[in-house]
Amino acid sequence: MRPGETGKRVKGSPSRSGGADEDRIGCLPDGVLHHILGFLPAPDAVRTCLLARRWRHLWKSATGLRISEGYGVEKLHDFVHHLLLLRGGAPLDTFELGSIDLAVGDNRSMNLWFRHALLCQVRVLRLNVFGLELHDLPFVSRHLVKLELRFVILMHSFLDFSSCPVLEHLEIVSSELSGAKRISSQSLKHLNLTDCTFSENVRIRIDVPNLLSLWLQDYCCRTPVFEVMPLLVKAFVSVTGDSGDWLTCTSGNADSEECPHDDCELCYSNTNCMLLQALSQARSLMLVAQNQEFVFKRDMMRCPTFSNLKTLLLIDSFYVAFDLHGITCILRHSPVLEKLTLELFCQESEHILEMKGSYNQTERSSAIPEHLKSVVVKCGVIDERVTKVLKFLSTFNIRFSFE
Amino acid sequence: MAAAAAEATTDGGGKMIILISADGKRFEVTEAVASQSQLISNMIEDDCTENGVRLPNVDGDILTMVVDYCNMHAGDAAAAGDTMKASSTEEELKKFDAELVQALENPVLFKLILAANFLNIKSLLDMTCQRVADMMSGKTPEQMRETFSIENDFTPEEEAAIRQENAWAFDD
Repeated sequence: MRPGETGKRVKGSPSRSGGADEDRIGCLPDGVLHHILGFLPAPDAVRTCLLARRWRHLWKSATGLRISEGYGVEKLHDFVHHLLLLRGGAPLDTFELGSIDLAVGDNRSMNLWFRHALLCQVRVLRLNVFGLELHDLPFVSRHLVKLELRFVILMHSFLDFSSCPVLEHLEIVSSELSGAKRISSQSLKHLNLTDCTFSENVRIRIDVPNLLSLWLQDYCCRTPVFEVMPLLVKAFVSVTGDSGDWLTCTSGNADSEECPHDDCELCYSNTNCMLLQALSQARSLMLVAQNQEFVFKRDMMRCPTFSNLKTLLLIDSFYVAFDLHGITCILRHSPVLEKLTLELFCQESEHILEMKGSYNQTERSSAIPEHLKSVVVKCGVIDERVTKVLKFLSTFNIRFSFE
Repeated sequence: MAAAAAEATTDGGGKMIILISADGKRFEVTEAVASQSQLISNMIEDDCTENGVRLPNVDGDILTMVVDYCNMHAGDAAAAGDTMKASSTEEELKKFDAELVQALENPVLFKLILAANFLNIKSLLDMTCQRVADMMSGKTPEQMRETFSIENDFTPEEEAAIRQENAWAFDD
């Protein structure tokens, strides 16, 4: 609810004088009831018009609209058109189109609906419509703070949020971005890209200079290129076998400015291939390699210095990316690291073995960061590769004990 | 995540302020805890919390809940909406929140909503309003009236007319 915009007859609500009403929902001011109605599925909210005189028009000012399947397509259209036209331009906090199975030809209406919500000054917009194609029109809103997209197809080649000056959260999940070349926002603080498919040909460029937290999970195809993120505090990056691509450079264009292939062995000099570089300012990092070595390994060849990194979690189920070389490399480049956790599970295992490392300050090896206080290794079973890692760490005088 | 929380409390939470309920109960909280209330945060900014903050329309028992809530969520504000969801403290917070609202009888719930609205604590207001919405969701108007003791002041004719006017929202 926005103070000052709702709750016209708030002051000394009708029942303040006392009596049984004190205990009832009727003691709540209109502004609060608008807010409550905003949490209801839209049909339930409208039906409250029958409750009593006071409730007759409250739904028209509900601060949220939650529209989901539960109708046939035709009924849904009829319902939403009535809803939007009758409530007019009353300000909205939240607009949600959820769990709707898209019938052919619905795209235009749904694009229109959420654009209407933007006109109603919506602050949180959630679109969860399987196969919805978002039209190639710019988002323009001085109010939008949070945008969540699921199962949509982004037709924009350039996701330009320069006309959304207060957008801070962007979450794109299980969506198709293969046509997208760029995401750009000066205001964005939190970005979550999970299970997204990027282009096979062009690496998407992400320009979010004020980002504080990044979550990049299990993307398919080309690794994004991030512009500098000097304020980044924490980042989670998880790659799978589908992340990056496996074509090799046949053109031998090691000197070209941008190799078309992001895992090209001939193009190690390519500065555009640095994912870790973009994360180098983070205080906390979680890196997950699921049967995928390339994205991180390539970057570690030109490992940046993580000058602020205090907490690092490496999860490598197949021990391919963060092998001895990888671990050494990261330790060497993390001068202020305090906590290192390694998770080496080969399969989903029921048992979790946790070993804590300790060392005597006087015996501390110069190869490990000065402030390192905690080293934890987690695994399912102690197999050959785990033994190798433990042995390796013991060369730095780190000794392990079971928890 | 824990580090961020600790910093938030040491950065802005050093000074204590006193909240005084309608029935004169006093609560001493840090500024960081209290400023989750936008109302109090504005007062802190305007430097008018020296002699304690009187809250003439919040009872002591309700203010106890509000203070408990704010204590649990202090430091949370800095990390609000964060995309990192793996922390165990977040799990604990969710559990705390769920238990807080589930246990409340309607009259207490409404009083807590009024307090959250007055103090302007958005997350508490959202959570308590969501709880009321959950109790309404999926019910017929008759069932809603019964749940919340709402008196139907329409004549049968008026009710039929309104149902007709909004037929698009009723299944039948």
